[in-house]
Amino acid sequence: MQHSSKLVFFAALLGAICTTLSPAIANDIVPTPKQSRSILIKNATVHTVSQGVLNNTDVLIENGKITAVGSQLTSQTSSKAVTDTSETHIIDASGKHLYPGLIALDTSLGLVEIEMSRPTVDNAEVGYMNPQVSTATAYNPDSELIPTIRFNGITHAQIVPNGDGLAGQSVLVNLDAWTIEDALTPTAGQFHVYWPHIKYMPEDEKKKAKALEKNQQAINDLNIAFEDGYRYFLSDKAKSKDKNKHETPQSATNNLRCQAMLPLYQGKATLFAHADSVGQIEQVIALTKKYQFKLVIVGGYDAWRLASSLKDVNAGVIYPHTLSLPRRKDEPVDLPFKIPSLLANAGIPFALGFSSDWNSRNLPYAAGYSAAYGLTPEQALKSITLDAAKLLGIEDLGAIAVGYQGSVVLSEGDILDPMTNKIDAIWIEGRQIDLNNRHQQLYQKYLKR
Amino acid sequence: MQINNKIIISCSIIASLISLTVFAENNTGTTPNKLTALTHAELIIAPGKHLSNATLLVENNRIKAIIEHGNIPAGAFEIDLSGYTIYPGFIDPFTDYGIEFKYPKLGLTRPVYDIKRIGGNADNGAIHSEKEWFNYVYPDKERAKEWINNGFTSVQSSKLDGIFRGTGVSLSLADKTANEIIYRARSQPFMAFDKGTSEQDYPESLMGSIALIRQTFADANWYNENKNKPTNSAINNQIEFNIAFERLDNLADKQIIFETQNLNDQLRAAHLLKAHKLPANLLGNGQEYSRINELKALNYPLILPLNYPQAPDVGTDDAEREVSLAELRQWERAPTNPATVAKAGIPFALTQFGIKTEDFWPRLRQAINQGLSEDQALAALTTQAAKMAGTDNFTGKLEPGYMADFVITKGNIFKDGQIYSVWLQGQAQTVRSLAQAKLLGDYQLNLDNLTLDLSLQDVSKNDKPKIEGNLSSGDNSITLNQPQLDDDGKLSFTVDLSAAGINGMSRFTLWMTKDGIQGRMTDAKSHTTNVTGIAIAHTVALNSIDNESKKTLKNEASVNLVSHLTFPNVAYGLSEVPKVEKLHIKNATLWTSDKQGIVEHADLLMANGRIEKIGQQLSTPSGYQVLDATGKHLTAGIIDEHSHIAINGGTNEGTDAVTSEVRIGDVINPDDISLYRALAGGVTSAQLLHGSANPIGGQAQLIKMKWGESAEQLKFANAPASIKFALGENVKQSNWGEKFVQRFPQTRMGVKAFFEETFDAALAYEDALKNYDDLRASDKKKTIAPRPSYRLQAVAEVLNQQRDVHIHSYVQSEILMFIRLAEAYHFKVQTFTHVLEGYKVASELASHGAGASTFADWWAYKFEVYDAIPQNACLMQNKGVTTSINSDDYEMQRRLNQEAAKSMMYCNMSKEDAWNMVTINPAKQLRVDEFVGSLTTGKVADIVLWNAEPLSIYAKVTQAWVEGKRYFDRDQDLLAQQVIVNERAALIQKILNSDEQAKAGEKVTPLNEPQWHCDTHYQAWGQAHQGAK
Repeated sequence: MQHSSKLVFFAALLGAICTTLSPAIANDIVPTPKQSRSILIKNATVHTVSQGVLNNTDVLIENGKITAVGSQLTSQTSSKAVTDTSETHIIDASGKHLYPGLIALDTSLGLVEIEMSRPTVDNAEVGYMNPQVSTATAYNPDSELIPTIRFNGITHAQIVPNGDGLAGQSVLVNLDAWTIEDALTPTAGQFHVYWPHIKYMPEDEKKKAKALEKNQQAINDLNIAFEDGYRYFLSDKAKSKDKNKHETPQSATNNLRCQAMLPLYQGKATLFAHADSVGQIEQVIALTKKYQFKLVIVGGYDAWRLASSLKDVNAGVIYPHTLSLPRRKDEPVDLPFKIPSLLANAGIPFALGFSSDWNSRNLPYAAGYSAAYGLTPEQALKSITLDAAKLLGIEDLGAIAVGYQGSVVLSEGDILDPMTNKIDAIWIEGRQIDLNNRHQQLYQKYLKR
Repeated sequence: MQINNKIIISCSIIASLISLTVFAENNTGTTPNKLTALTHAELIIAPGKHLSNATLLVENNRIKAIIEHGNIPAGAFEIDLSGYTIYPGFIDPFTDYGIEFKYPKLGLTRPVYDIKRIGGNADNGAIHSEKEWFNYVYPDKERAKEWINNGFTSVQSSKLDGIFRGTGVSLSLADKTANEIIYRARSQPFMAFDKGTSEQDYPESLMGSIALIRQTFADANWYNENKNKPTNSAINNQIEFNIAFERLDNLADKQIIFETQNLNDQLRAAHLLKAHKLPANLLGNGQEYSRINELKALNYPLILPLNYPQAPDVGTDDAEREVSLAELRQWERAPTNPATVAKAGIPFALTQFGIKTEDFWPRLRQAINQGLSEDQALAALTTQAAKMAGTDNFTGKLEPGYMADFVITKGNIFKDGQIYSVWLQGQAQTVRSLAQAKLLGDYQLNLDNLTLDLSLQDVSKNDKPKIEGNLSSGDNSITLNQPQLDDDGKLSFTVDLSAAGINGMSRFTLWMTKDGIQGRMTDAKSHTTNVTGIAIAHTVALNSIDNESKKTLKNEASVNLVSHLTFPNVAYGLSEVPKVEKLHIKNATLWTSDKQGIVEHADLLMANGRIEKIGQQLSTPSGYQVLDATGKHLTAGIIDEHSHIAINGGTNEGTDAVTSEVRIGDVINPDDISLYRALAGGVTSAQLLHGSANPIGGQAQLIKMKWGESAEQLKFANAPASIKFALGENVKQSNWGEKFVQRFPQTRMGVKAFFEETFDAALAYEDALKNYDDLRASDKKKTIAPRPSYRLQAVAEVLNQQRDVHIHSYVQSEILMFIRLAEAYHFKVQTFTHVLEGYKVASELASHGAGASTFADWWAYKFEVYDAIPQNACLMQNKGVTTSINSDDYEMQRRLNQEAAKSMMYCNMSKEDAWNMVTINPAKQLRVDEFVGSLTTGKVADIVLWNAEPLSIYAKVTQAWVEGKRYFDRDQDLLAQQVIVNERAALIQKILNSDEQAKAGEKVTPLNEPQWHCDTHYQAWGQAHQGAK
């Protein structure tokens, strides 16, 4: 009785909180309906990513896909290419730059509204073994943060769980949707493991020893967890053979967590391992070799030193530390800016990420920095578009080419440089989205004061 | 009188009771006079003064005479010490030996605002100045050995706990009564920054400790100046009794012993004490060599521990990567430190503090291998140490009248000599048996008509004596069974002499005589035969040198240093501080940040640290270097209004709601690589602010990125005083956890009330000071002066417009509140910092005249920034508010140029306005725009050259000058990267090639402070992180 009354009270309290916060955590920007008219963007400088930069080029988007890239294009449904019609919306992009929509990897968008307000934070579950949880469950497509992220040219984001050990599964979403189901961009399964490390090495000798021991314990526990998952996979394989013979019902003792991990062992999912130091990355590689996982390293601060080991397991890297300090005092002051070019030189497939919620809108400027420190501007752009899509196993996103999604961004300047960047329009699957957001609204409001 | 008698009586009762339990002391008369002559010894009577073949005459516990030639007085008991050396007993001035006391552990949990007041103590739990440690002296025979075995005869001790630790005591290590061993009951006051076991929250930071010391010095002066004033009793202005303050009287006549953990703290202590004109001796740290000139200028004697770090783990490349060059260098250089200190002419003593006692001599010998002279080492162990212990008129030398505290060694103690016995107050304590040493060697033994050769060798290990030997005749040799030496010098062993015709096991007892040895042999039939022996050759065998010494000798080959010494002594440190340049920068695009705006194809002349001339196609004056800057962009250095880099020991003293007495300027860390990284991002000045844990935080410090200079030299000269205030969630403890709900204020309403109360208190304080000041001299003698308060003084300075307020603020209500409050108290708010909702009250900010220093695009990290927008800067700028972009972040600080550019993207700000937001505008907010912030003739040459438009994402700093000196150069940086790689490689090779002895040492985990942010809660004492956000 008491228990339930507590629950009721709690629910009421939650309700109260929700009511108070609801105006704050839901935006009123209306998602754009499915593309109905063709879109012809004319005379743009097209940063195709896959085919270099094309000047004075037209791009045609139909039914959410890019159907033509070239000069003097006309719509396939209408031969008139010079004026807007009911079938074709024509945009004059002379002097402007057209880019593929940017893909923000390793974000907590839609999971975190206000970092220090716990009721609005849903990105990290407790425990070391949570392969069964998915960010899709908690993603809030109405987050006030999302329209501010799009504003800088980001059309898609990977929504990643945080935590310790096996933290759960991530999803890829487009950033203009009514519900998570509308937002989801299908990919193979994405599991995230945060490889143990010591965040602050204590100065005290005893505490230091304890920290080292605890870290080793965490590594052992993780290895055992993966072994348990593998045992489950083996018995599941055996059972399914049995099932064919005897048609026995599924075991009632199914372990949800191990069950969730099956796609990893079946080669149907990717393991995103968050690891930075050589030691951590080598431990992860050893693990994936054992179980033949598809591996992507997230973090990868030292990954450029491990080209051949990473190649051995065909692993790519999501590098989110461009706008960071050197990890070690003796490292070159600009090493974090240079690491993307070091990865490129080492021949390691990589993309840039930006591990944040609100701040992931600065992803393009991280790419800009990597271009100032060794990447070509084309490589930098590719690292937040096509290469990002590839690491997620998506074939039709991140470039401006026929057959690719009609997710493109039109800017008056350089999308990687805030000094000149000015975004005019964004399309997601051919839907031109509203660029308004909380910031614009408050700006407009206080311009009137 | 009566009281004293009573104490004596009760003491003697206890004493007699104790005695009775053992045996009854014969208390009938005087003890017999003991006169001992130690003859034929090498006497080291003081550093640099040796006497050969001389006699030390000891009477009871004192040295009676030193007799060079001539006769030993009759009645003296003689000990022949031919071949031995006598040194004055060593003194360790920094110990906690013999103090029997523990502070009670209350087990309180934070927050703890107040402590229990007992017996007139101070109101802070880290102040124990009332303690006089002689009260707790009780000899500890076992622990004393830790010193005695190394030749120490006396120490200075104090409980090493707290900030004001009480008055130390100098005492002998002799095993006598407490009364007898106390050499100086009140020696020196002990101090430290570490608050130790105090359970009170304040001070939680290093700067808090420094502020507490400063306030306590002032309190003590005030107390002792006022306590005896005959006051008008009608007015209740008696001073309450405070024994802690009373005992801090006349500090200037004492020598404070100040403990710190590292070089920066040591320098801080020196500056603090110097400012108060207080004499002191500072505990060292082994890093003195890296800023030896600065230390020398402060001129405080040092107490050096021989703490050499263990070689860092470089066994794998992954482990090595986590080791900094600074750590590698310290491993190599630590043994050179004592020699460097000596060479600089800084007086110093040595201490065993901080190391295992068995390491002391090997370490000291390493230091001697690295250039410390034996006389310097001896002075450090004797005369210097005696001075610090306040016992130099009777210890530290072999001199008549001095205590009979000395060390007898065989050989030179600073090379390979060994300690045989240590005399404490005339009582010998054996370390190695003297008798044994004398017995060693070869003898020809005669027993009856048999002649045998006896050979005795020392196989002692450490201080465990052991002898081996054999008897031989011709080719026959028989090993002695269990040779034993007793305290009287008698050697006994058994041996089977059947081969010589004596059947069964024979037992020998032998002892020394003048010419050799004599004794007796008892054979199997219990028949005794006399034995006499003549020494054949009395050699000191090489194996008397212990293994440690051998290793030390081996190390002599490795004195060549491979590490560099730089300023600061970390990676990217400069080998010398750069010189002021005379430079003609040609054909650059000048972003002037003044009326001229952006000027293309312009020249700039720089000399004497100033901008001399700006123009087009200038001619190069003679003596000027030319720098062709075609295609490059020249700007004033970036100024960051809000930063927490280069600080040690916490950025918050967040324990009380007002801590205006703490000063960031006290805790500048000149070794922080962040200074260099900031320069690489074009930042030349930054205001280091206290955090935002309380409404009235600490005093701020504007610095320049003069990489390589000292903490003092980093300070921006002539900058106005400033202070951090704060509003909102942090000060009302919203995110501190549920325990922190007691402190006023807990709401924005309370914050305002708190300011009002504090301002009024400051005004009242000022009035009281003024009223007292206005009194006639004669009245002052009868009136208690107001108790000084650095806290209220700083607040009063704000109200008097003598200290600028930089106030952390977010939401419009609190911004508006504080503007109106300031107006009510008639002062101007200099700058609102963060001020993320400044756009909502931009007109009010403008009409008040406050500046606004904000983030380009930060938001959503907490509730009070949910209305933050990236157009904030534009909206404020449009209304005429002087607006700047700050970092409050180690990383973003080096990208402030692009942060400014975001206002171009989000709200179409012009290039000029955007650039002003990181140069001239913050200069105005900090009121240093007359010196810096623009490229204007006559201003200080804090300038930066860029390879592209500085607002562009592709811009990189190629050079940065501060005051006309080039502290950053990208080409030099590239070279430095390679130099660092090479130096690391050389040091790593050196470690890998070293023997275990050279690798051994104290385990060191480098000071692992987090990156400071506004709301970092850090316990400097005990290093427990509460997490940084």
